[in-house]
Amino acid sequence: MNKGFKIDCIGYALFAAFVLLLMPWMVDFSGYELNSYARYLALGMVAAALALSWGTAGILNLGQALTFGMGAYIMAMHLKLRASESLPGGMPDFMGWTNVEALPWFWQPFHSLIFTLGAGVLIPVGVACLLGAFMFRGRITGVFVAIITLSLMLAVQLWIISEQRFTGGENGITGLAPLSLFGWSVDTYDLSFYYLVAGCLLVGLAVGLALVRSKAGLVLRAIKANPERVRFFGYDVARYETLAFATSAGIAGVAGMLYALVLEFASPTYMGLSISLAIVIWAAVGGRESMVAAALGGIGVNMAEGRLSDLFFDQWTLMLGVIFIAVVLFLPRGLYGLVVSGREYLEARYAARFAPAANGAQEAASPQVADHGETK
Amino acid sequence: MDAWVNEIFIGISLASILLMVALGLAIIYGTMGVINLAHGQFVMLGAYGAWLLQTQYGVSVVVALPVVFVVVGLLGLAVERTIIQRLYHRPLDTILATWGIGIVLEQIVRNMFGSSSRYVGRPEFLDGGYLILGAHASSYRLFIIFFSLVMLAATWYLLFRTEFGTKLRSVIQNVEISECYGISAKRVYALTFAYGAGLAGIAGALIAPLVSVTPTMGTSLVVDAFLVVIVGGVGSLVGTAASAFMIGEASAFLSYVFNDTTGRILILLGVIVLIRFRPQGLFPDTVRR
Repeated sequence: MNKGFKIDCIGYALFAAFVLLLMPWMVDFSGYELNSYARYLALGMVAAALALSWGTAGILNLGQALTFGMGAYIMAMHLKLRASESLPGGMPDFMGWTNVEALPWFWQPFHSLIFTLGAGVLIPVGVACLLGAFMFRGRITGVFVAIITLSLMLAVQLWIISEQRFTGGENGITGLAPLSLFGWSVDTYDLSFYYLVAGCLLVGLAVGLALVRSKAGLVLRAIKANPERVRFFGYDVARYETLAFATSAGIAGVAGMLYALVLEFASPTYMGLSISLAIVIWAAVGGRESMVAAALGGIGVNMAEGRLSDLFFDQWTLMLGVIFIAVVLFLPRGLYGLVVSGREYLEARYAARFAPAANGAQEAASPQVADHGETK
Repeated sequence: MDAWVNEIFIGISLASILLMVALGLAIIYGTMGVINLAHGQFVMLGAYGAWLLQTQYGVSVVVALPVVFVVVGLLGLAVERTIIQRLYHRPLDTILATWGIGIVLEQIVRNMFGSSSRYVGRPEFLDGGYLILGAHASSYRLFIIFFSLVMLAATWYLLFRTEFGTKLRSVIQNVEISECYGISAKRVYALTFAYGAGLAGIAGALIAPLVSVTPTMGTSLVVDAFLVVIVGGVGSLVGTAASAFMIGEASAFLSYVFNDTTGRILILLGVIVLIRFRPQGLFPDTVRR
């Protein structure tokens, strides 16, 4: 337990150094280049959010993009209202085109920045709490959770596309004003914006890691291994599952807000099937058991996509598919699994050199037993 | 009155398409617990197969069916041998692997035939239509309804009246004991997967004249088919047929009463509630497990 915490801290510190120093250094701290890196960070963040529910509690959420998209829409609604202040009634332009008389009530509160920032976290959390309670009280697990989350996401996406009057429909919400954060006008092509995104990512990861390493995290890992046994011990399994699910939704919501800021629009494709499965791919490539690894997976795959899709155009999709099949087949624990086995190997060598042989072998074997959880 | 009869017919027609697409998925999921997200791409390949045979050799869709069945089935066999086979002990990971396979297949097709949509003509002898109880029914849709029932019957026959079916059912019940009796589970799994893929190919060829054939057509199909399988109950042919009928009729009526989008949203929400309260499906197969 303590050892796991220590390793988490080292991983987290290395990741922070990578995100805060190495990545900006790679492009000479140029804000313009860092804009696309900020996008990768936002996507890495949603991959980490998925890893929190999938890797820790074994909840495969195929609708993770739902909460991500909600965050994006919430941010876009606020910025759209800012941009429309000079228009008649302060209404967004697409409402004018579709003859909406007055700003709908559910748009009203988004005039306030505080409300928007709160809503971007709390609305996804609220939705996840309701959905989580609905599913987990009924002891729904595995593939059924995947289907329910997927169906709900598709339903919401369809609704957003169909209610063009209120949501901008297929086009999404475009033409946004820059965010003005308590007097600081956020320029997305500035170094400070990159650090804002990186800071949010690191805070999100810290929240997730705190949950994973708390007692609740231990119970969650136990639930992943065997929910029935945990239930027999008297734990309220549904409550713990909902906790992980909702925390993950909150982190995804923040990631969505940042994503809308970077791209300067919100679109229904943000909560589509392809992005949802892409998130699963990123988390799986990095390693679903660790949020930091999943975030790196998201950043790495997207960075590679940015570089390689220029070189190979559409063939990148083909390569992504092949890479992904290979990861599932040969690295079921992702790149994180490689790191873990490498560490175990080194520890075994180290222990063998400094301790009596038999004792050392035992030492080396014990973390393996602890770490090799069932990869469901 | 005519409108309602018309809607019932549209519903049955939708249901028959759902049934054809879902049947292959149901048999693969029911047997191996593999969630094959590449199923939609197998359907897409079937559609492209029909298009290729029609434009290159002037073969009608109906004649193309056996060719498509064999080719897509063989492809399914290859996929099972190389990839799926290694994942039987991690069923949830098959979702990920088969999604990867789907991406690859889609991109290969896009490379070969481009991403513009293709048109497949229906066979000439099925061009007309009939008036049934005042509702217009095109012959081709009637043919699809008929053929989906044929596929259902063939699958039922395969499962319950052939030696292969007996082996398959015994493997589903207990792999170890079946192997003690000399049944090769590996072989049974591989052939079942190939059969499921072949069915997807047929489904694709048959729906090709009704939809526009594009590399991305599989994705939405697989979601619908998967909902049908889960609602029907794992491993139950009757359940799959019944839920295809229900979902088909429900979407026809809801689309008629509201509109297409609202109908689909209501179906999705209905499915969510159904899974929550009956995760085993409407017609669970209690005998076999």
